[in-house]
Amino acid sequence: MVDELITETADRLFSELCTHEAVQAAENVGAAPDIWDAFCETGFDLIAVPEASGGSGGTLAEAIEVLRLVGYHSAPIPAAENGILGGWLLAEAGIERPDGLVTVVPPRAGADGWSGGGACSAELAGEGSAALTGEAHRVPWARSAEMIVCVCECDGQTTVIAVPTSECEVSPLPNMAGEPRDTVRFDGATGQAAPAPNGVDAAALAERGALSRVALMAGAIEKLCQLTVSYTNERVQFGRPVARFQAVQQHLVWAAQDAALVRMSAEVAAREATRGDAPFEIAAAKLIANQAAARATKACHQAHGAMGMTQEYPLHHFSRRLWSWRKEYGSDAHWSAVLGDMATGVGADSLYPLITSGTAALQ
Amino acid sequence: MRFTPTELTGPELELQAEVREFLAAELPPGSHEPCLGMAADHDREFSAKMAARGWVGMALPSRWGGSDRTAVQRFIVVEEMLRWGAPVGHHWVADRQTGNVILKFGTDEQRERFLAPICRGELGFSIGMSEPDSGSDLASVSTRAERADDGWIVNGTKIWTSNAHMNDWFICLLRTAPMEDGNKHAGLSQFLIDLSSPGLEISPIPFLDGSHHFNEVTFHDVFVPDTNVVGQPGMGWHQNTTEMAYERGGPDRWLSPFSTVEQLLREAAGTPMQDTVSDLFGELAARWWGIRNLSLSVARLIDEGEAPSVESALVKEMGTRYEQEVVEKLVQLIDEEYSPESESLFERLLAQCVVTFPGNTIRGGTIEILRSVASKGLQGLPV
Repeated sequence: MVDELITETADRLFSELCTHEAVQAAENVGAAPDIWDAFCETGFDLIAVPEASGGSGGTLAEAIEVLRLVGYHSAPIPAAENGILGGWLLAEAGIERPDGLVTVVPPRAGADGWSGGGACSAELAGEGSAALTGEAHRVPWARSAEMIVCVCECDGQTTVIAVPTSECEVSPLPNMAGEPRDTVRFDGATGQAAPAPNGVDAAALAERGALSRVALMAGAIEKLCQLTVSYTNERVQFGRPVARFQAVQQHLVWAAQDAALVRMSAEVAAREATRGDAPFEIAAAKLIANQAAARATKACHQAHGAMGMTQEYPLHHFSRRLWSWRKEYGSDAHWSAVLGDMATGVGADSLYPLITSGTAALQ
Repeated sequence: MRFTPTELTGPELELQAEVREFLAAELPPGSHEPCLGMAADHDREFSAKMAARGWVGMALPSRWGGSDRTAVQRFIVVEEMLRWGAPVGHHWVADRQTGNVILKFGTDEQRERFLAPICRGELGFSIGMSEPDSGSDLASVSTRAERADDGWIVNGTKIWTSNAHMNDWFICLLRTAPMEDGNKHAGLSQFLIDLSSPGLEISPIPFLDGSHHFNEVTFHDVFVPDTNVVGQPGMGWHQNTTEMAYERGGPDRWLSPFSTVEQLLREAAGTPMQDTVSDLFGELAARWWGIRNLSLSVARLIDEGEAPSVESALVKEMGTRYEQEVVEKLVQLIDEEYSPESESLFERLLAQCVVTFPGNTIRGGTIEILRSVASKGLQGLPV
């Protein structure tokens, strides 16, 4: 259960700050420092990071609820990277976090599973220190970050490495929603290094990353859907609101189903991940969110007509984010394959128990 | 619209384990031809065995022969039965909706007379809604019941009536007053009619594959006593709408192709599997997990005293379309031709899905009607 106060506080904060104009301005500039500062004042920037490691405490489920509201308001801030991804890696590895923003190198999915450091190699550079060489792609908000964290193999050991951004070369690159997804070049960049404890590796980071995207997507689809209900009730054609037409109602209903499905999946996956490992729930939730994003954006754009294709109307803040987030932390094909291994692995007699009990049915 | 995540409690998980154990003993895989969801075989003996466990009419009060169980407990029993392809056809309608209607709107005498036999799995019900000129526009029904001494005389025709040739009773929506201009929902009443009544004629309407589910039921001056009117004469529309809410959003609206998918996995065991096939099992498991979480939350809302009619309509609209999508994905996957008489059980089931599942998005209210109900709810209008 998530305290309602968290939902109310985050909702109020973002309602005030993340206006259509503010989100557009953040896209044009590539950052929204005032929104980020206000977010940090609430302590939500480090929610679910243990207090002993300089975090705000709280559960993963609470952090996921905040991320849902980030998505709902298209808040242009790196909430996931700084908190449950980067903050988590630093806390687990016992590396002290800097005052400023922390981001992570997203793991890449390959034939042999997830790898953590992008196209980088790491080698030890003395006690508690390592040097990274190579290039990392699509690092969220790297241009604004003080520290970039990755988890990769270093001298045969899975290692968390935290490099000050001042040691790297950052080339700005936007995603389809204009959010920073920068290219980071390391040329023997040295940073703090610590062995990753059990349960911390590229695959675990990818799962948390996927869960963070499901939460963001749940919020964005919900808003997409609400905008569409409002617009189709206000827009009058042929003498009546277009929402009275059955063909338009179909779009509303399909979008509402997807909003419900993704939010439910986010909340159940978060609940299970808060208790322990949840590989089935997270994989299922991300696949569901990816597919729902495709359907809901199509339905909502269609229901909006040409208005939804303009920059002046806010629909695109949500649809473009959904198209971007859909491709992060695992595509449809990736998670289908992961789930397929689980389903065929348990076999016919346990296929339904897998659906009802999820990860618990895998043991 | 709000779907709140929920999960099964300890005692609920025990019930689930008990049902699984019962099914494994009664219907071990390979011992029976699985049914495709609620369009299940009628097996009075199986219904009686379930009833002996307290699993028929289980959410009805014990005072009337039920087990005082919850909507979630009924959900657990129903989902296990359906995914197993169990022959639940005989008691299906009585268990899902008619028992609730009699409890909610019936007299004590009717509760006494019907509910205990329903809970013993004895009574099979058919539903009398559609007529030759009334399908989705249900309020236009014209089969009429006219006042007589101590009862009513019924004339007219109901069609597409599932299993009237096997069932015992018929819960019917009939016109008891002429249609008024501007209020076509008035003048309708619900009746319980004995399917063996004199003057009631049942003739088959063959299903598209030649099988016998549908019937035409014709009334020639059929006498129905006053004691078989459900609730208030004239309130039939309201009562019927309430009844429809029981029909919607449950596992019967999204589990129909499950036994087919499970059988494909069973038959594929031991041979190398193509990635596309494996990926499909993964995708289907995920999507069933998602829909089940929504559907379960609807059952929990009902137990909390809510009336989640919009949520139920959304789940049913989505679930029945999903059932058809599953079949389409299987069809695209399989290179071989298949037939209802293939040697492979999977192929037999798939052939049956292909031929019968177009009806899934029609029965109990077309998805077009459901969209209209759901979108009114989304817009905050009265449903």
